[in-house]
Amino acid sequence: MADVRLKLDQVSKQFQDRGGSGQVLAVDNVTLEINSGEFVTLLGPSGCGKTTTLRMIAGFENPTQGRIILDGQDITNVAPNKRDMALVFQNYALFPHMTIYDNVAYGLQTQRIPKNKVRERVRDSLAMMGLSGMEGRRPNQLSGGQQQRVALARALVTEPAILLFDEPLSNLDAKLRVQMRSEIHSLQRRLNITSVYVTHDQTEAMALSDQIIIMNQGRVEQRGKPKEIYRFPKSRFVADFIGRANFVETTVEMIGDDQCQFQLFGMTVTSVSHAEPCQSGAAVVMIRPEALALRRDESLPQGRVEQAMYLGSEVEYIVSLRGKSLVAVDNNPGSEIFEEGQQVGIAFVREALHLLPAEN
Amino acid sequence: MQARLGASQIRRVRQFAQDPLLVIIAIAVIVFVVIAILLPLAATISLSTSEEGLPLFERYLFDSTYQTIIVNTVVMGVLVATIGTAVGFLFAFVQVKLNVPFKRFMHIVALVPVISPPFAVATATIVLFGRSGIISRGVFGVRYDIYGLDGLTAVLALSFFTVAYLNLRGMMEALDPALDEAATNLGAGKWRTFRTITLPMLAPGIASSFLLLFVESIADLGNPLVLGGNYEVLATRIYITVIGLYNPVGAAVLCIILLMPSLTVYLVQRYWISRANVVSVTGKPAGKPQTINHPVVRWGLFLLVMFICGLIVLIYATIIIGAFTQVPGVNNTFTYDHFDFVINGLGREAMEDTTSLSIIATPIAGVLGMVIAFLVARSKLPGRGALDFATMLGIAVPGTIIGIGYLLVFNNPITATLPVVGEVTLIPKLTGGQGLFGGALAIVMVYVIRSVPAALRSGTAALSQIDPAIEEASISLGADNARTFRRITLPLIRPAFLAGLIYAFARSMTTISAIVFLTTPQTKIMTAQILNEVENGRYGNAFAYCTLLIGIVLIAIGGMYMFVGSRTGAERTIEGGT
Amino acid sequence: MRFKLMLVTVSLMLLLVSSTMAQDTLTVLCTPQEDWCVAMTQAFEEETGIDTNYVRLSSGEALARVRASQDNPEFSIWWGGPADAFIAGSEEGLLEQYESPNAEDIPVGYKDADSYWTGVYVGALGFCSNLEILEELGVEPPTSWEDLLAPELSGNVAMAHPATSGTAFTAFWTVVTLKANELEAEEEGTGYDEDGVPTEAALDNAFEYFAALHQNILQYTRSGAAPGTMAGQGEVAVAIIFSHDCTKLQVEGFQDIVTTTFPEEGTGYEIGGMAILAGAPELEAAQMWYDWALTPEAQEIGQTVNSLQLPTNPDAAVSDLSVVLADVNVIEYNFQAAGANRTALVERFDADIAPEPVD
Repeated sequence: MADVRLKLDQVSKQFQDRGGSGQVLAVDNVTLEINSGEFVTLLGPSGCGKTTTLRMIAGFENPTQGRIILDGQDITNVAPNKRDMALVFQNYALFPHMTIYDNVAYGLQTQRIPKNKVRERVRDSLAMMGLSGMEGRRPNQLSGGQQQRVALARALVTEPAILLFDEPLSNLDAKLRVQMRSEIHSLQRRLNITSVYVTHDQTEAMALSDQIIIMNQGRVEQRGKPKEIYRFPKSRFVADFIGRANFVETTVEMIGDDQCQFQLFGMTVTSVSHAEPCQSGAAVVMIRPEALALRRDESLPQGRVEQAMYLGSEVEYIVSLRGKSLVAVDNNPGSEIFEEGQQVGIAFVREALHLLPAEN
Repeated sequence: MQARLGASQIRRVRQFAQDPLLVIIAIAVIVFVVIAILLPLAATISLSTSEEGLPLFERYLFDSTYQTIIVNTVVMGVLVATIGTAVGFLFAFVQVKLNVPFKRFMHIVALVPVISPPFAVATATIVLFGRSGIISRGVFGVRYDIYGLDGLTAVLALSFFTVAYLNLRGMMEALDPALDEAATNLGAGKWRTFRTITLPMLAPGIASSFLLLFVESIADLGNPLVLGGNYEVLATRIYITVIGLYNPVGAAVLCIILLMPSLTVYLVQRYWISRANVVSVTGKPAGKPQTINHPVVRWGLFLLVMFICGLIVLIYATIIIGAFTQVPGVNNTFTYDHFDFVINGLGREAMEDTTSLSIIATPIAGVLGMVIAFLVARSKLPGRGALDFATMLGIAVPGTIIGIGYLLVFNNPITATLPVVGEVTLIPKLTGGQGLFGGALAIVMVYVIRSVPAALRSGTAALSQIDPAIEEASISLGADNARTFRRITLPLIRPAFLAGLIYAFARSMTTISAIVFLTTPQTKIMTAQILNEVENGRYGNAFAYCTLLIGIVLIAIGGMYMFVGSRTGAERTIEGGT
Repeated sequence: MRFKLMLVTVSLMLLLVSSTMAQDTLTVLCTPQEDWCVAMTQAFEEETGIDTNYVRLSSGEALARVRASQDNPEFSIWWGGPADAFIAGSEEGLLEQYESPNAEDIPVGYKDADSYWTGVYVGALGFCSNLEILEELGVEPPTSWEDLLAPELSGNVAMAHPATSGTAFTAFWTVVTLKANELEAEEEGTGYDEDGVPTEAALDNAFEYFAALHQNILQYTRSGAAPGTMAGQGEVAVAIIFSHDCTKLQVEGFQDIVTTTFPEEGTGYEIGGMAILAGAPELEAAQMWYDWALTPEAQEIGQTVNSLQLPTNPDAAVSDLSVVLADVNVIEYNFQAAGANRTALVERFDADIAPEPVD
């Protein structure tokens, strides 16, 4: 298949504790491969080691253990400026004392490219980002979105083997973030440039990535396509982190070759997707809020609406069912809107149920 | 665990070693710091703890006359620190919290003492307020005895309060006015707000100003020499012990006794105050500080500050006018003689030597300060904390100790015997007339080590304001450390660099305590010449020297602004304190 | 940029060096007042073409400096300052013998028998008083050492520190001599020992006197002549200085302000010495200076800058303003003993008297 561009081989990173004596393991034995042209996102809560991993790839941190391999070459001890990568920073890190032109030209100038070539490429890249005519301005004269584009142009213009993003959209307001997200998406597809993207925003990760790597406490929890991760999380942590989910404890009974059966709100359910090979015993059923539907149907298990929040494009409910609080989201404009305190029947989409191992 | 730690250290060293240029620079810097700062200090300490030295400790510490000197030193230090901090606080408070006219004027006047040559203020004070002072005797008709603790305290406080002012003003401006508003909102009056909110928030700044002034004042040599009368302090004692008695052992012992309070204070300041920092400078405070409108407070403080400003203006006017006066205070005829003496006569050589040595030392100190700041704040150099500490010793240690240390270490060539080559001179004789470059190199070294700490501080402060991501962006775009430093870091910390340069030049031109032991027949230094003139009562000549010295410093500052850059930025940095 | 800076630095330094490494040079350690040093070096430079540098240090400082750099002398010749310091220096082996042909013209009392040093001027110690201040304090100009102890003069007397200043040491030794004479007058053998050196008892009495005087001293200055200016400027009432330094003040603008008086019981005097330093780096030039400084012409230079010391060369013209020794009561000043005891006495003074607090 596609060739491996970047490989992390059992990489760990230990930091000296701020207090002094202790050691903190920020990245714990991470191994991963990134193929050419792939857009991979490292996703996880803050402190999960995603940024440290990115900084080790960029060369700003040295792994305590393990190797980093780019195009078959060990670059673990190569200085960051000698690595064919460009990093887009969270706060853009534009050079405040230089014009936009000089900012973008900077990387090319370090490569000692002839002046006229530099001019051409800078102009092209600014044009691509819709920044023509801004060459003479300084970063503080631009809006946040424009600064972000300059940062992108500056990274792209050097045509690096790998483009690294460190939460590049987190400083933008919500609307701009969505817009930039789609720009990055189309740009990356167009240029087909191998990218590693760090974020804690799961929608961003879903929207952009070919592959998402969920990290937790320095380890890789799960890796997969956005859909896989969302639909078939391997752990409760992943399920909870990416999207929202209801978890219902249950007992599973194996009824055949990889066939499971369990009770859910008094109904018997068979054979749904499961994170691990089906086994009899305790388990957790994951139900995404959108897989729950509220109906006026007395044949369904009856619950009570505890809270109803009208959000425009959707209605978010908290319903209690057999002593359990569940979150349900209804985004069907044709649905009836229920009031707090109402009795409702609760249906769930069987295909969307996912079995997770019970947590010790 | 052990082995693992070792391995990670090796990794760290290896990582640092990725950039050979950085390694070379780091080694050069470390070698310089060791030779120019640590070696002289170590020599002084080891001489004082030698067989000859140790008994002297007992003699000096238990002899009643020496106890008096030590007590004198501490009393003076505490008084100067208290009054200087109070005056600095007053100036800062008026700037930030009061709505009164002439604030700009007050600010400039408060900055003036920074470029005052030593002795200038003391001498002008004698002319104005001495036994036959123009004001004390001329206006009030009293023969006021300014010599001794009172005069000394006043002069030192006036000379040093600027540091406290800048320090406290910066902190007051950084205080979030919302806190005041919150207190007022909760029903506290202005006085209560001041007492319960403002003062406690400023406590670390007040304490650090106090300690700084304490160290500066007990290390000062020039003023006690001129104004001390019979109030003897350690600095003057050390001076007499070396200059009059040539007793290096005794001097070294006294140095160590003087070093102890200085170093203690420095350590306290470094580790305690920096941690107890209450004021969190996170972005710009919202809103404007509330002003205090109570008329008695407002105009009372205004008058007090204006009075001190008037005093400073008077003193500096005396210096300048005195330079054109036959015998200031006695025979007030106008004359150019003193300037003729300094410019065309004897003073010319001193003026040229001092200026050119300062010009050499200034960029070295400025660049060195920025490089060390970079190494300390940005690189992964192992032991960078120690480098920072060692560099700061250059100013934390009283100048007399540096001067004596230089005499001890560099008065003879330092040689080593190598197996094949035989005896090799590692460092030639640096001090004295037969020293390298007529002793000029040693003087330049002292200038540099005395000014680097300030450049280092302003450099690290500036670096901490710059997101490391900006430098990483440069490196990520393929630039090496050197290029990043040159193209990104240095331009961004230019105001700090400029502040460092200005400080270095002003400090070099006005330093005396370390230099007085190092001037040679070939290399004459203005401040030492001023001391001669003041000592012999030729105040006119002294004032002419001082006036020219101030002029040279001002011209140089102007020149540096033009060369190095943006006026506003640098000004902000300087005014923000270093 | 760094490298460019370094280049500039290095070349600047080279410039500095080349300017100081000229061939014919002489470095003089000069102890009298600055303007005399200037006049002398300039005249010598004109006479010989030798590039002459000087550093002015008070005699105690000069001695300390010479001692400190004896392995590697910075100076070739030491000119001026009381002979005691030269005697102390020759005993420590810091000086070089030189038999100048011109030294023959100098009277025997004014030069060293072993040719270590030769006197270049003579002057008597006196009290330099500010008339206005004295009037205010209600005190007459002092005419004896005891007068200086008057309580009215508290904080109004200045003298230099004997450790740094030859003037002050001369004053000190003068009191020692007077105290020895007093003892000797009471009982023979108690003031002087058999070698004619003042006894321990005489020294103790002298220290007692200075401890008492200390209560009236405002400040011990570094240089011997400095107290005179303090008196002139009204900072103190009386300065203990050489009378010629007081005369110099009078000539230079303080004529109606200060007056010179002498202690009746006797005053000391100085022989301003001159010597070549052991291991002098510029020996030849130093000898030329030595010869030249003994000539009448060179000895008359002082008058041009109002330094009114008496020349030692009998052929040199004497200014009308100079104080002739015959007119004052000068004591028998034992230079040899003064020089030999200098270091120990100065240290004792520095330890016992100078740092004492004033009540």
